[in-house]
Amino acid sequence: MSTVSELADRTVDTVERFGGRTFDILVTQNRAATAEVEKGSMKQAASAIDPGVAIRVFDRGSPGFAYCSGHADADVKKAAEMAVSQARAGASDPDFKGLPVAGKATLRPGLHDKSVASLQPDEAADMLLTLVDVAEDDRRISSVNAGLMVAVGEVALRNSNGLSLSQETTSFDVFSEAVARDGDAMFSGLEFASSRRLDMSSIETVGRSAREHAVRGLVRKKIETGDLPVIMDPLASGYVLAQAVGGGVNAESVQRKRSYLSGKLGERIGAEGFSVTDDPTVEWAVGSTSFDGEGTPSLKKSVIESGVLRSYLHDSYTAGKDSIESTGNSSRGGAVWSYRSPPSISFSNLVVAKGDATTEEMIRDTGRGVYLRLTFDNPNLATGEFSGLMMESCVVEHGELGATIRQATVGIGLLDMFSRIDMVGRESRSAFGVDTPAIRISSAKVGGSA
Amino acid sequence: MNFEQFIRLHEGNGLEDVAEAAIDHALRSGAEFADLRMESFLGTVIVVMDGRTKTITTRVERGCGIRAFIDGGWGFAVCNGLDIAIVRETAEKAAKLARVSKEKAKVRFKIDEAPSNRKKDVYPCLVPPSSVPISDKLDLAMGHDKSIGSADERVVSRNTRYEDFEGKRVVANSFGSLVVTDEWWTLASCSAWARADGIVQRGHESVGNVGGYEVVQSEQAAEIGVKAASQAIRLLDSKPAPAGKFTCVLDNRMTGLLAHEALGHACEADAVLAGASVLEGLQGERVATEEVTLIDDPTIANTFGYFAYDWEGVKSARHTLIDKGVLSGLMHNLETSSRMGVDADGAGRAETYSSPPIVRMSNTFIAPGDIKKEELIKEVRDGMLIVGAQYGYVEPAKGQFMFKCDEAYRIVRGEIGQRYRDAILSGLVLETLHEVTGVADDFVLTDPGYCGKSGQDARTTDGGPHIRVENLLVGGLA
Repeated sequence: MSTVSELADRTVDTVERFGGRTFDILVTQNRAATAEVEKGSMKQAASAIDPGVAIRVFDRGSPGFAYCSGHADADVKKAAEMAVSQARAGASDPDFKGLPVAGKATLRPGLHDKSVASLQPDEAADMLLTLVDVAEDDRRISSVNAGLMVAVGEVALRNSNGLSLSQETTSFDVFSEAVARDGDAMFSGLEFASSRRLDMSSIETVGRSAREHAVRGLVRKKIETGDLPVIMDPLASGYVLAQAVGGGVNAESVQRKRSYLSGKLGERIGAEGFSVTDDPTVEWAVGSTSFDGEGTPSLKKSVIESGVLRSYLHDSYTAGKDSIESTGNSSRGGAVWSYRSPPSISFSNLVVAKGDATTEEMIRDTGRGVYLRLTFDNPNLATGEFSGLMMESCVVEHGELGATIRQATVGIGLLDMFSRIDMVGRESRSAFGVDTPAIRISSAKVGGSA
Repeated sequence: MNFEQFIRLHEGNGLEDVAEAAIDHALRSGAEFADLRMESFLGTVIVVMDGRTKTITTRVERGCGIRAFIDGGWGFAVCNGLDIAIVRETAEKAAKLARVSKEKAKVRFKIDEAPSNRKKDVYPCLVPPSSVPISDKLDLAMGHDKSIGSADERVVSRNTRYEDFEGKRVVANSFGSLVVTDEWWTLASCSAWARADGIVQRGHESVGNVGGYEVVQSEQAAEIGVKAASQAIRLLDSKPAPAGKFTCVLDNRMTGLLAHEALGHACEADAVLAGASVLEGLQGERVATEEVTLIDDPTIANTFGYFAYDWEGVKSARHTLIDKGVLSGLMHNLETSSRMGVDADGAGRAETYSSPPIVRMSNTFIAPGDIKKEELIKEVRDGMLIVGAQYGYVEPAKGQFMFKCDEAYRIVRGEIGQRYRDAILSGLVLETLHEVTGVADDFVLTDPGYCGKSGQDARTTDGGPHIRVENLLVGGLA
């Protein structure tokens, strides 16, 4: 039996000795390694070992949570004592109906890649320098910054119903920022990739894409304010949908009436061509897992089916409150689980159904509009409205991609956005936990600086 | 168990002795320069939602992050726990990783020797959070929850968060610095969701500072629930903001966010060395109108961005980034000051022991001018008053930034009118501050917050007076 499993079993006894009756315990043994390049030169190699223990105790439905970094007995005891006493301190909560029952979760394929786990620091550095060579391959590129991170996680989960599960996961992330200069013009291209397996092809793709987008941004033009069709690149749709859909269907926000999707189950909220599933079973996707953060077996489910809202995302608490089964969306955060926060509801991998248009067809068909590649703005989930900076975007003119847009914003209500999806791309990529093709919104308010 | 007992639980030889032994070991393992951050801390987070406890969290952490440097290459290794054997092993690993970096590095440089500081800094704290029973903290959170709920019957959901931190941090380096900081900070925040005619709006208010439990017992702290509720209620009769270019008067909070996003990040010297700041090569050049003086100052006592020594053991200092419109300085850590031939000025910060120190802001603000804010507004024919800050971000290499407000109001011929919601403002680093046409005299250093960079959070504040900016791009739905 592994160290984490042994410690998890011992911690069950510790919590019970302090009087805990309803609880779950997560023991992790994580490690991570990173390599970083600054302005084309290797800058830093790093490694971290991060063992920890998280203990959550319920008393009359009132929760207490404590964690310690490391596996030291004295700290685990302190955490157990604190979790039990905190649970006792809170008021009772009749909506808490209990933790998942013991059961077996099928261990999913595509969670752990030995070649990620065994990657050495000098190998990681060489991979990153290959990326830099690709990204620097244009005389206008003045600087390339890049990073590569691998993480390996081993977790053991126990609860007071006798649930006993463990799994091992890996993750692999690369990132690059290429900066282009030409005279007074300066622009940067960002690109990244994430997977649970070592993805050599992403090294070249990330380097090339960062370079191409940096150089493209050297020629910029202002546009006027107006209502225009917006093609959202998978990077932009991934970022916005992670929150607009992933956050909007969080059952906790829905039950507390903090989400614009409260009370809309079974209703049409988007166009026929807009379908989204939450799927923790996708091989090698970073959100995939055999069981959720409370031990509920992972399960693929439809969230939006042909424009109709089919499901909210639940953990055991919100499911108990609605008297339904948990959808297995209790998250312990990130590709490799963390002991540092109590579990909370999150999507696993959101998958947006593909359409049948190529990107070229979408641009050609648009005629005049904008192509939004990147925004980092958050929709307001209470009002269901989105306004954001178009951090990287291009004009579409005469059915072709034109100059990069200098300083512009985009704004639209989220339900309008979903119902105005009139074209969906046929090639997907993963971005911010969402596997999505490009989507076209028939009209949104674009704020220009001309 | 109180905090002193907790610290002693595993201390053995004392954190200071372990730190110095680790630095020695890194040097013996081949490092030219080595430093470390060692921490032992306790923390509490309480979240109350709609009258019930959502979570009560206790954080128990000890760990150490060690950096080794060899000829342009850094190695960084992290361990949890502070046993001497683990820490020595981590020091050795850092040196090994530095060799890997050095072998692959193209750019060579040295870390210039900085003054050796052997200091103890104790943040002011009247009531250590660990001395307050968890039931009292929970009562405080429940009290805020009630005050939000009783403010108005249109409030449909409420959130209160209480957070405290109590830690001991040791920073040591091979120049002989050994700085021990006893650190406390405490925060409370409230959010309210209000609903009327099918529309839901959210309001938010927070209070926080370095210091103990007294921070959340102030008169100002007692009002955060009511203020959050009032904002949510006010926003119920707001309209979506219009998009386009406007003359904008920014309130103290938005001025602070502008200072932080429009120029602060681009003045971090690591962005300049990375070739990723549009301010590269512009030292001594005019980047703003003469009214604008922009400062970052971690030395201001009783602020959320306060620190006396940075996370590399360097004494903190006030940085004048823009002096009357002219770009006059950058913020540095030991590496950037060595490479750019200036003195280290104490802007190296790490979120915790598990992150390497990078160049960060602290308390960032635009200095006050001498006009009354009413005059700034009176002169606007058609523009917007922008109130309250939600968040912002910038890409210094693209020279573009945005910042999102809580509320916006139309100004027509000097009169404040229609209320708007969800407006974002966007600007260009090299242009926006040239458009500042008025700086008021009503200086305020505003709310506590966290600034994110390279995956690390740093506690910061920002602020300033009301200012007027021409041609700001407002983004909205209408």
